[in-house]
Amino acid sequence: MTTVRIWFTKQNEAAYISLLDLQRVMGRSLKRSGLPVWYTLGFNPHIYMTFACPLPLGQESLVESVDVKTEQEAPDLAAWKTALARVMPAGIEIKKVDLPQKKAEEIGFAEYLVRYDTPAAAAALEGYNALASAPAEKKSKRGMRSIELKEHLPRIDYHIAEGGEGAAFSVRLPASETLNLNPALLTGFLQQRFGLPAQAAGILRTALYAKDGAPFL
Amino acid sequence: MFDPKLKEALAHVQKPGRYTGGEPGSVYKNPAKTDLRFAFCFPDTYEVGMSFLGMKILYELLNARPNWWCERAFMPWLDMKEQHERLGLPLYTLESKTPLAAFDVVGFTLQYELSYTNILAMLDLAGIPFYAKDRDEHWPLIVAGGPCVCNAEPLADFFDMMMLGEGEEQLPWVCQEVERAKKEGISKRELLRRIARLPGCYVPSFYDVSYLPDGRVAAICPNDEAAPARVTKAILTDMDSFAPPTNFVVPMVGAVHDRAQIEVLRGCVRGCRFCQAGFLYRPMRQRSARLLNDAARQLCANTGYEEVSLTSLSTSDHAGLETLLDEMDGWTQAEHVSISLPSLRIDNFSESLIEKTNRVRKSGLTFAPEAGTQRLRDVINKNITWEEIEKSCKIAFAAGYTSVKLYFMMGLPTETLEDIEGIANTAQRIVDLYYANPAKPKGKGVQVTISVACFVPKPHTPFQFVPQDTRESLQKKQQHLLHSVHSRKIKVNYHDSATSYLEAVFAKGDRRLAPALVEAYRRGCFFDGWDECLRYDVWCSVFADLGLDMAFYANRPLALDEVTPWSHLDYGVSQEFLVREYQKALAGATTPPCSRQCSGCGANHLLGGPCFDYGTDLVYKTE
Repeated sequence: MTTVRIWFTKQNEAAYISLLDLQRVMGRSLKRSGLPVWYTLGFNPHIYMTFACPLPLGQESLVESVDVKTEQEAPDLAAWKTALARVMPAGIEIKKVDLPQKKAEEIGFAEYLVRYDTPAAAAALEGYNALASAPAEKKSKRGMRSIELKEHLPRIDYHIAEGGEGAAFSVRLPASETLNLNPALLTGFLQQRFGLPAQAAGILRTALYAKDGAPFL
Repeated sequence: MFDPKLKEALAHVQKPGRYTGGEPGSVYKNPAKTDLRFAFCFPDTYEVGMSFLGMKILYELLNARPNWWCERAFMPWLDMKEQHERLGLPLYTLESKTPLAAFDVVGFTLQYELSYTNILAMLDLAGIPFYAKDRDEHWPLIVAGGPCVCNAEPLADFFDMMMLGEGEEQLPWVCQEVERAKKEGISKRELLRRIARLPGCYVPSFYDVSYLPDGRVAAICPNDEAAPARVTKAILTDMDSFAPPTNFVVPMVGAVHDRAQIEVLRGCVRGCRFCQAGFLYRPMRQRSARLLNDAARQLCANTGYEEVSLTSLSTSDHAGLETLLDEMDGWTQAEHVSISLPSLRIDNFSESLIEKTNRVRKSGLTFAPEAGTQRLRDVINKNITWEEIEKSCKIAFAAGYTSVKLYFMMGLPTETLEDIEGIANTAQRIVDLYYANPAKPKGKGVQVTISVACFVPKPHTPFQFVPQDTRESLQKKQQHLLHSVHSRKIKVNYHDSATSYLEAVFAKGDRRLAPALVEAYRRGCFFDGWDECLRYDVWCSVFADLGLDMAFYANRPLALDEVTPWSHLDYGVSQEFLVREYQKALAGATTPPCSRQCSGCGANHLLGGPCFDYGTDLVYKTE
């Protein structure tokens, strides 16, 4: 049995598909592709799929991945890519199909591009940089947990978009199984503290890194 | 990229995936290269609309023309509706995000009376005036199709045109006329005149309705020479000449029926007297097993669906069903596809059917005896007997089923409390059957669920003449049923009768109800078919304030020779036949399935000859 990792983007229309929906969409796309993916055995067989680091609804990404299995010993990865590219819905583009060198559990960090399209963003970000402490509440299965954002993001180096209509910046945040912080924590904090509407932020995941900081992809 | 307003709206709603489009199978074209743009509107949520086979058929058909583009729009749920209003975002189609007002044709499908206010809501969100008379040449043509067109008189003033019958040929004819009219630059009235000459095309403004002093309709007369005295529905004479769609738009966020669907036959031979669909889609026509098998396989390959449903009003009446299932067995297992049969009849349900459809998953079993006693089943012409129910349940229990769901109605003509007790008795006897099965699974109990709907008399059926049972009487019967059930193995589901009452009012309504719809919408009524949204008190006050009487429409018996609001709409079944069937019902006399013996309903004229080869018994029957 060979594991195949499929890298894809999730943008525009596809940004609004939840993980549960994405599983269904990917399952049907794989079926349409006709590729020899492995089905689980049992009472209700379905295509085996594992998604790494699922993204919250509404956020976009250039670096999503799903692992599937096949009984092919040496799958023709270029042919897989072509077959998959043909069947994906709008907003999902197949970037790469490869044999995983690292396990998904080795992902340690993710990088995001956050873009505000409101002129009010700069003042709020300056406000954030001036703070000594930025405590945010993170919801988890075990209840609320307090996170000090400054530990992870001491300051935000942003640049003003052309025309001065907004601001953009990159952040690198922990994305491991033990600690996974999403930029929504930051945008939520900026809304709560400085009144900058979180909905005005576009969030795009741009890269994944291993725990040692090396590029994961 | 999405428009900033749309992005903002999406950030505020619970299920944004309903409003984004881009699903696999959705069609995108270059608007500059199209000659006709059609917005197919479903006046309920995305999940409901995306389950609807008719939209998939017509979407594929219209988009097959390179220079036409058919797109979809749905009624936004409460949170999204609020965002449309807050942001001034006009209602748009999912594919190109074009506002509805920019289309050549905006077509609504009328599936359910309680979605009428949603049509007004969608027009309102699109900034389109409600009344046809208020829309000049620059507005899109607003049209409707679907079963409720059979008496869409309450909506007549809103639509430029309505389509009776089947759309596969008719809708492209209409679109052709619109395309031609655009090129020739003729007036809307002239276009409607041309369209009125097409089969099944009804232009409401070409008819004048007059009323008697007692409120009943006096006459319905054409006022334009292009309009026929009666509009006869369009029909496909040969179902095999139109293969079922082999591409679906596959929803990404789910749908009520999220599976491949293949329509195996259209119409129904049974003639149940309460069933409007059974009369609207006459005569019954089937597709050949080979065509169905090929279409099903292709559809599953194109969509990635792992379940295919063989749909129709009564799938087990297909003469070649066993052959079809055998053919499908050749590929479904290898391709991980399961088959479901949603409309089985209890009287031709066999062991081999169970075996062929349930290799993958054993779900519950659902039957519809509709009435609790043989007497009442004969009245409604639901020709099944207790022996048949017993036999089917025995087969099912032997096959390992432990739950049975039964559908009934209450408020049927001639019904007494004895018939209500009969519902409970039927369920109890099924429970007893389960425990009498020596091979029943150890430690597992049986669950019999009875769902009881309130009967709504519908136009074009033999029961169009009967008044609906009053809400008080229905409530009394519901209580009586609850008291008649003595087992915890039996679960009773019933529904508030307010919904059915409004449904009856609009089902048998006339043009005078249009202002009530507008006023109710203005006062906040929409999604009336959704329990959490129905505002029955508001509806009552609207009727009272406008001097309209709900009971006049719902609870009044119609005279057998009365001019009904729908008497100019012809579905092929004669008035004489409806009267004859009604009188037989009152006498408790049954009518055989029309594939066994023709009862002379008149619909065979639509095909130009007999509906069946009566030399052979076409009704599929086991044993």
